Amino acid sequence: MTESADGRTETKDAPSLRIPRGTLLRSRVVSDVATTLSRALDRGLTGYATLVPQETLLLEGDARGVLTFADGVPVLAYNTVTDRGGPDALAELAVPGPYRVELYAVDDDRLAAAHEEDALRVAPGAPATELADDPALADRTRDAAPDERVAGPGTDDADAVAAFLADDDRIEAIREQARTEAAERADEWGLDEALADDADENLGGDSDDDLDGAPPTAGDRESGG
Amino acid sequence: MVEAFAVASGKGGTGKKTSTLALGMALADEHDVTVVDADTGMANLLFHTGLDDATVTLHDLLVEETATDVSTATYDRFGLSVVPCGTSLAGFEAAEPGRLRDVVADLASDTDVLLLDSPAALGSKSAVLPVVLADRVVVVVEPTIPALSDGLKVQEYARSYGTETAGVLFNKVRDDAADVAEQAERHFGGPVLARVPDSDVVRAARRAGKPLLAHAPESDAAARYRRAAARLDVRDGDGGAVADRFRSAVVPDTP
Repeated sequence: MTESADGRTETKDAPSLRIPRGTLLRSRVVSDVATTLSRALDRGLTGYATLVPQETLLLEGDARGVLTFADGVPVLAYNTVTDRGGPDALAELAVPGPYRVELYAVDDDRLAAAHEEDALRVAPGAPATELADDPALADRTRDAAPDERVAGPGTDDADAVAAFLADDDRIEAIREQARTEAAERADEWGLDEALADDADENLGGDSDDDLDGAPPTAGDRESGG
Repeated sequence: MVEAFAVASGKGGTGKKTSTLALGMALADEHDVTVVDADTGMANLLFHTGLDDATVTLHDLLVEETATDVSTATYDRFGLSVVPCGTSLAGFEAAEPGRLRDVVADLASDTDVLLLDSPAALGSKSAVLPVVLADRVVVVVEPTIPALSDGLKVQEYARSYGTETAGVLFNKVRDDAADVAEQAERHFGGPVLARVPDSDVVRAARRAGKPLLAHAPESDAAARYRRAAARLDVRDGDGGAVADRFRSAVVPDTP
């Protein structure tokens, strides 16, 4: 995964990420990215982290992220699989569960050029909010960010959320996974009798016309043995 | 009995309890409202309603079985009937889910609107029971990807049990998140009920141990919750029939 940081897949129009290879500081699987982000923040790291979500059901293995830091504050996000950057990349990387993370240090001046690529920028607090679900860390990161990073273009925390909500395939994958999980657990808990009649068949659509919103009762389904 | 709502979020920290009590107090202007703290994972409705001295709670009904009559665990606060969960959380997993159903059925026969404050997680039978039993679910989110993902998940769980979405309530909204709510609406089976800003007054109410609508009834946040309650469009129903439905709902015995 280290080569992805400087391997820079070329695309036609979208800006790609070009950063120099750094010095590996640590490599591990973390259950919570907050660990990585707060480590980078606390040591004022200038460098980057590579993030590979271990969640495969929702992603089909199509997210490998690079997140760069300047003095501990996140600057750029990039997904080397989809070649998307900025809030789009952040949204693609925001999945539950463990990530394989490698953290690299890079000399300040060697990242300066890459950090001028506005299209790949993310709001300072956005990785803590969207990847780590850690509002306190997000606040701490915003506090540590230079003034110009917390106001103006590219500083909107909601950009990644908007990108997430625009990704219909991703939303549908979440919903489908939840439906499958709900059915499996209902079976496990002995609640399958309480499932709506069409819960299994109606996996694809939004149509609820035939649901009355009322939980089914025993009488509805009395099999008579 | 008119209708039972589960108030659910899928993750903690979204302001679900603040929302449950605010919706309850707003609905109490027109309806007889009972709020049940069914959040057995984080039972702190007590502190939001100044009920930390409650002697009989849901815990006594469901786990200890030291009380059998739900009326002994029902307290009048702020114009609501409140059934607190109790703070002794250990052992809730051992509670027989059928008991919660019975408690809900008893309450349903004697109130207009039931609000079931649901656990933030979906990892156990007792945790999903509120969305199984409710007529509709109010999904509480904040404008972040983790919260929206979990909100969508709760919605699908509820739908699996035939419980449709009454609406989605956005808490902790920052200025820049306004159009995110609009964008989110199409993914949920109900309207955006409110966008409640992240505000000091909400935090102050929590610190004061009071529901927002009692602590700061004139605040902007309170007004937004009142509009949200109005948008819920509570449906008429036959009280006896609803109670019977709860009583006969299929809830397996704990092995």
